Amino acid sequence: MALDYRKCAEEIAANIGGGSNVISAAHCATRLRLVIADNSKVNKEALENIDGVKGMFESNGQLQLIIGTGTVNKVYDEFLAVTGASAASKADVKAAAASRMPLWKKILKTPGDVFVPILPAIVASGLMMGIVEAIPKFWPAFGNSDWFSFLDLVANTAFALLPVLVAISSARVFGGNIFLGAVIGLMMVHPALINAWTVGNYAPGEIPVWHLFFFKVQQVGYQGHVIPVILAVLLMSTVEKWLHKHVPEMIDLFVTPLCTVLITAFVTFTVIGPIFSVFESWVLVGAEKLITIGHGAGAAVMGAIYPLTVVMGLHHMYNVIEAGMISSTGVNFWMPIASAANFAQFGACLAVALKCKNQKTKSVALPSSLSASLGITEPAIFGINFRFMKPFIAGMIGGAVGSFFSTWMHGINAKGEIVKFGATTYGVTGIPGIPAVNNVPMYIVELCIASGIAFAITWFIWKEDAPAKKAKKGAEEPPKDMPVVVRCSAGELKQPVEGKVIDRESIPDETFATGILGDGIGVEPTSGTVLAPFDGTVTSVFDTKHAVTLEKDGMEVLIHIGVNTVNMNGDGFTAYVKEGDEVKAGQRLLGFDSAKIKAAGYSDCVVMLLTNSDDLDDVECGLK
Amino acid sequence: MKSFDYVITDPVGIHARPAGILVKEVKNYKDSTITLTKGEKSVNLLKLMALMQMGIKQGDKVTVTVEGGDEEAVCAKIEEFFKANM
Repeated sequence: MALDYRKCAEEIAANIGGGSNVISAAHCATRLRLVIADNSKVNKEALENIDGVKGMFESNGQLQLIIGTGTVNKVYDEFLAVTGASAASKADVKAAAASRMPLWKKILKTPGDVFVPILPAIVASGLMMGIVEAIPKFWPAFGNSDWFSFLDLVANTAFALLPVLVAISSARVFGGNIFLGAVIGLMMVHPALINAWTVGNYAPGEIPVWHLFFFKVQQVGYQGHVIPVILAVLLMSTVEKWLHKHVPEMIDLFVTPLCTVLITAFVTFTVIGPIFSVFESWVLVGAEKLITIGHGAGAAVMGAIYPLTVVMGLHHMYNVIEAGMISSTGVNFWMPIASAANFAQFGACLAVALKCKNQKTKSVALPSSLSASLGITEPAIFGINFRFMKPFIAGMIGGAVGSFFSTWMHGINAKGEIVKFGATTYGVTGIPGIPAVNNVPMYIVELCIASGIAFAITWFIWKEDAPAKKAKKGAEEPPKDMPVVVRCSAGELKQPVEGKVIDRESIPDETFATGILGDGIGVEPTSGTVLAPFDGTVTSVFDTKHAVTLEKDGMEVLIHIGVNTVNMNGDGFTAYVKEGDEVKAGQRLLGFDSAKIKAAGYSDCVVMLLTNSDDLDDVECGLK
Repeated sequence: MKSFDYVITDPVGIHARPAGILVKEVKNYKDSTITLTKGEKSVNLLKLMALMQMGIKQGDKVTVTVEGGDEEAVCAKIEEFFKANM
C-alpha cells in the first residue's frame, strides 16, 4: 500500500505541537529535518509509531525523522501544506539550530568555523614562510639566491591570496555556492587592483579610483584581509539564497549567479571595503598615538590588542608606522611591541600543544607555535588560540607585559648613542627579529617575559573541553553496554538484544539449531531493539527488515529476528541502519514488535550467528 | 563446465534458511567450484553471507555453474536439490 503522505504529515504535525512549534523544516534524501521551538511538546514515542516514519533522532538542535528516499519529499510537501511552515534549505535549518546560540557566541564562532577547514593551508604556509624568511636574517647571502625567491613564492602563496581561501570556506559556512564564493575572493585580490601589501608606498592622490554612482572607490585589493572577506561572502550567500527562492526556476540558473556576483561586488567595493579602510586608518592613527602615552601604559594596551588586529587582518598596515618611525627617529620602537604580542601568542599556543591530549589539536598546535615563534602568528591565532579563547587572552596579557617592559629599555645605535629600544628594520618579529634590534639581550628577555607569562596563564587556566562534548553526545543516544556472548579468535560479539540468552541448540528452528548457518546464540527478547554486537560495518539489511548482516575483522555475523518472520514482509519491523553504515557496539540496528510477531504465530527469538564460524578458531558461545 | 538455469519458486526467495541448506549441500562437493549468477552478479555458493546479500526472490532467474570434479553428476545433483528446495 502506498503511504498516505497527507496523513503521515498530519500525524507528524500533531505530535510535534503543531505548525506553530516549527521554526523551520527541511529534508535531505531520507530525512525530514525540523527545528522545534519547544521540545517538550514533542511526543517522541508517537512520532516513531507513525506509519511512514521509520525512525527518529535528535542531533545538533534538529529533530530528524527518517522517512525514506522518494517519499520524504512528498511527506515534506504535505507537511508544509499542513503546518504552513515555510520551505527552508538544509542550511537554513542548520542556521536556525545555530541561531539558538546567543549572538555574541555566533559572531565569535564564525572566524573559527571559517578557519578550521583551511588550517592545513595556513599552517603549512605559515611555518614555511617563517623559516624561509628567517634564514636571510642570519645568512644574508641566501636572501639573494634563486632558492630563496622560489621558496618564498611557495611559502607565501596561501597568505598572499588568503582572501580566496577565506571566501571559499566562508561560502561553505554560510551555505552559499562555494564557486561563487571563490569568485568573490579572487575578485578581492584581482591583479588589476593595487596590492594591499604595497599600497603604503603610494601617496594618497596616486591611488586610482573608480567613480560608481556617488561612490568613490579606491582600486585597492584586500590581500591579507579576513573580516571584509567574510562579510562579503556572508552578503553573497544571503543574496544568493534570497534570489534562489524568488527567481523563477526557468531563469534561476543564469539570473541568480549573475546578480549575486554583481550585487556582492558592488556592495563589497563601495560599502564594506571603504568602511574597513576608514576603520583601518583610525586604527593606524590610534595605534601610533597610543604607544607614546602613559610611560608604557599605552604600549601595554597596544601589546594586548595587537593580536585582535591580526584577527581583523589589520596588522600588515603597521609597516607604514614602522617605516615612518625609522625615517623620523632611526629606531623602529613599534617592533618590540609587535614582537612581544606575537611571541606571547607563541607561548600560549605552545602551552596548548604541550597540554592537550587530542592528537588533532596537538598536530595543529605544535607547528603553529613554531611558526608563531618565527613571527607568523596566523596559524596559532586562528588555528588554536582564538578558537579556544583562553589561550588568546593569555597571549594578550603576555603581550601587554612584554610591551610595557620594552618601553623602559634602551638600545645603542650604530653611532654608539643611547636611543630608544627598537629595531633598525621593519616587517620582522620573533626570533628572526634578533639581528634587527639594537639591544639583543633585552630583546631576548622581553620575548621570554611575553611568552613565559602567556604560557603560564594558558597552562593553568586552559582546559581541554573535548571529553565533555563526547559525554554529551553519548547522552543523546546512550549505547547500551551488553555482555559478551560469543568469543572467537577474531574477536567478541556482545548480546544483541536484552533478554534471556539461550544455546544455539535450543533455538526453536532446525536450521538455526543445527548450526548450518554457523555457530551462535539465541535470545528470548525482553526489549524490541536489536543492538550492534561490535564496532563494525553493516553489510546488508534485508528488505523485510527482520535480519541484518554485519562484518568486522573477518567475523561475519547474521542477526535474525524471530523464526519464519520473513513471511511478515517487514510488518512490525524497523531498520535504523542501512547497508554500508559503520556502527558502534550497542548502537541500535533494528526495531521489532514482539506482540505482532507472536500474533502472527511465530517465535520472536532473536538469533545471532557467526556465519563463518567454520573458518574461525576457538569459537565459544554463551554467557560467561 | 556445466550449468543450468532455474527460476526460484520458494515464495521467500533464497533467504537465511534456504541459503544455509544450500551452502551445506554444496559443501558435499569439495572438488567442484559451484557459482550462482543472477544478472551481472555472481557468488560462490560456499559463501553464505554473499549468497544472502544477493537478495534473490521468488521468480528470479538464476544460473548455477559447476566447474571441476565430476561436473556432470554434481550439476545434476544440485539441479535436483534446487527443484526440491528452492
